[in-house]
This record gives sequence, C-alpha cells and structure tokens, in this order.
Amino acid sequence: MARDLAIDLGTANTLVYMKGRGIVLNEPSVIALNRQTGEVLATGREAWQMIGRTPGYIVAVRPLRGGAITDFEITERMIRLLLQRVGVSRFTRPKVVICVPSAITEVERRAVTDAARRAGAADAQLIEQPMAAAIGADLPIDEPVGNMVIDVGGGTSETAVISLGGVVALEAVRVGSFDIDAAIQNYVRREHGIAIGERTAEEIKVAIGSADPIGDENEAEVRGRDLMSGLPKTVLLAPEEIRFAIDDVVSSIVASVVRCLAKAPPELAQDFLVRGMYLVGGGGLLRGLAQRIERETKVPVRMSSMPLEAVVLGAGHCIEHYEALKGMFMGARR
Amino acid sequence: MTLAIVLIVVAVFVLALGLILFKRSRQPEDGVASFRRHIDALSPAARREVIDRVQNARDSGKGK
Repeated sequence: MARDLAIDLGTANTLVYMKGRGIVLNEPSVIALNRQTGEVLATGREAWQMIGRTPGYIVAVRPLRGGAITDFEITERMIRLLLQRVGVSRFTRPKVVICVPSAITEVERRAVTDAARRAGAADAQLIEQPMAAAIGADLPIDEPVGNMVIDVGGGTSETAVISLGGVVALEAVRVGSFDIDAAIQNYVRREHGIAIGERTAEEIKVAIGSADPIGDENEAEVRGRDLMSGLPKTVLLAPEEIRFAIDDVVSSIVASVVRCLAKAPPELAQDFLVRGMYLVGGGGLLRGLAQRIERETKVPVRMSSMPLEAVVLGAGHCIEHYEALKGMFMGARR
Repeated sequence: MTLAIVLIVVAVFVLALGLILFKRSRQPEDGVASFRRHIDALSPAARREVIDRVQNARDSGKGK
C-alpha cells in the first residue's frame, strides 16, 4: 500500500512530504539533460551543481520560472523521477497533493495533475501555496481572525489574508528571489564590467544582500570574467550597492503586500496590527526584508519558525486529513 | 383492482415525498457537519502532529 504524498513544487526547491513519515525529499528543482539524446543525466542537488558548468551537450535547467512551467515535458519527467525516488511505482499508487502558485493558469494546472497521474499517482490535487504556507506556519486559520502570510519564493511572491479556513484576499506577483539574483548579476555587469553566474549572484545575496540597512555589514570579494579583456577579475562589492541593485525587486514585493492589505476587510485588517504578518519562503530569509515591509506597512512582521518547509508542511497536513480538507483543493466545491 | 392501483400509486407518492423531505432536512446538517470537520482539521491541535514530526526530524538532523 502506497503512502500518500504532498509535494511543494517550487521554482527553487522541491520538497516531498510522505504521510505518516514527514519530509522525505528536499532538493533543488533542477534537471540535467543530454541535449542530443534528451536523456536525463541528473536531478536535484547533483543537477544544481552543474548549472553554468556543463559542456555543450549537457543542459541543466529549472523547468519552472516565475512560478510558471516553462517546459511541460521536462516538468513531467522531473515529477516522475521525484515520485520514483520516493518509492512510487505502477504498483503503488498514492494520492498526491501538489502546492502550486495561486496565479497558475488552467493549462498549467492540468499539466501538473496529468504529470502526477502519469507518474503513478492515483489521484492528484492542487493547493494554493499561500494557503498551504498558512497551515504550515501554524497560524490560527481555524478562527474568525485575520491571518496574513507572505510567501516569498524563487519565482513568485504571494500574500494572502486567511480566516476561517479560507482565503479572504490574495495578491501575487511573479517576482521572487531569482529576480534578486538576476538584478545582482545585471548590476555587477553594468557597474563593474564583469560577468558572474547565477550561483555566484546567489552567493553574493546570501553573503551581503539586504533589503534594509542592518548592523554589522561587510564588503564581499567577487570573482567573475572581465567583459572587456575576457580574463578573470576580482571586484569588491559593498552592501549598499547590492541594496541599490535589488531595490526594484524588493519594492515590487513590498507593493504587493500593501495591495493585499488594502484588499482586506476592515474587521480583519485591525487584527494584523495585533497579530502581525508572517513571512515564509526562501526569499523571506533575505536580511532586512521583514524590517522593510514593517517600515512601509506599519504592521509587525514575524518570521515563521520553519520558513523553508512551511508550504510542504501545510500540504502534508492536507494529505494527513485528506477527507476533511479536500474542500481546500483548487477547483473543489466549497 | 382499481383501488389497489390507486393505493399503490399513493403509497409510492408518499414514500417519494417522504424521501425528498428527509433528504432536504439532512442537507443543512451535512453542510454544518462538513464545515465543522474542515475547521476542526485546521485547528492547532490537529496540526501539532505534522509540525512536531518535521520539527523533531529537523532538530535531530541539526544535532548530527
């Protein structure tokens, strides 16, 4: 008998929760393929290490970008491989709940559920990421009070107001931590004349990136390829430069939070001042982001205790209480 | 003979009416019960097991 699964199919990472067991897989959403034969060479962490470092015939790709599926076929293969890795076969057909961005199109929805069914799932249901995040962040969403969750992922940032087990207001932007990395890459290229890769940009963000000034800031040495000479070169980057470079992306995330606050009914809006908003997702770990949102909205922002796992935890809870919570799935009749 | 047929038709009609009324009276209760189940499944107590399971696994992973 197969154990049912919950999957957080994120732009950056994919997490799998197995019913009764907990999180059994947590890997980057990357797949490496042989460009000539189309054969899968690696997935997850192994494929992630290949990004930007492959010979011509290998391509390491993220099949999801901006919260959207950029390549349906590759996504389907990745889901199939993931399910195989956690023990799903044609003889063990589990029920699967998959977390997807709320702004997903009907075509993308069908592509994800079809991919899961073809990969061996007996039934595949989708749940909106902010809803799953609120459950996983342990917010009292069963009560008639305003709970606000901000999920900053790799490709999307979603803010939702949740009360009595349902979404009251929702705001999503197709901007996330990958856009922060891209902004750093562009800035370094433009201002310092050196080209850096996706992974180096991410390392800079983790080392000195911040959305608001914080104490104890250091400069970072960055190595890349000089655009003029083509030779390796080292430059020194200051935290203020990175703040300036990523400001457009951060402002766009903060603006979506403000729009969501404006959509909330007044009865619930007053709850936020007392209870605050909860930040989840890998992008939420950007230093100073909570302070920046707090400064611009005048509403306290708190970090979830398990920001990276909150979404899959919420979906995991849905798989544990499948019958009682099936009304929460996308397209379900309430 | 005619009386028997009339009686059967009336009995079927009464039975059908009774069934419809019974179903109607049950529907609001089902809605309430299903909403209650939904809300109860989202309570912090119901979520505790899942959260603790992952938190413990994470903590034991850190300890290694």
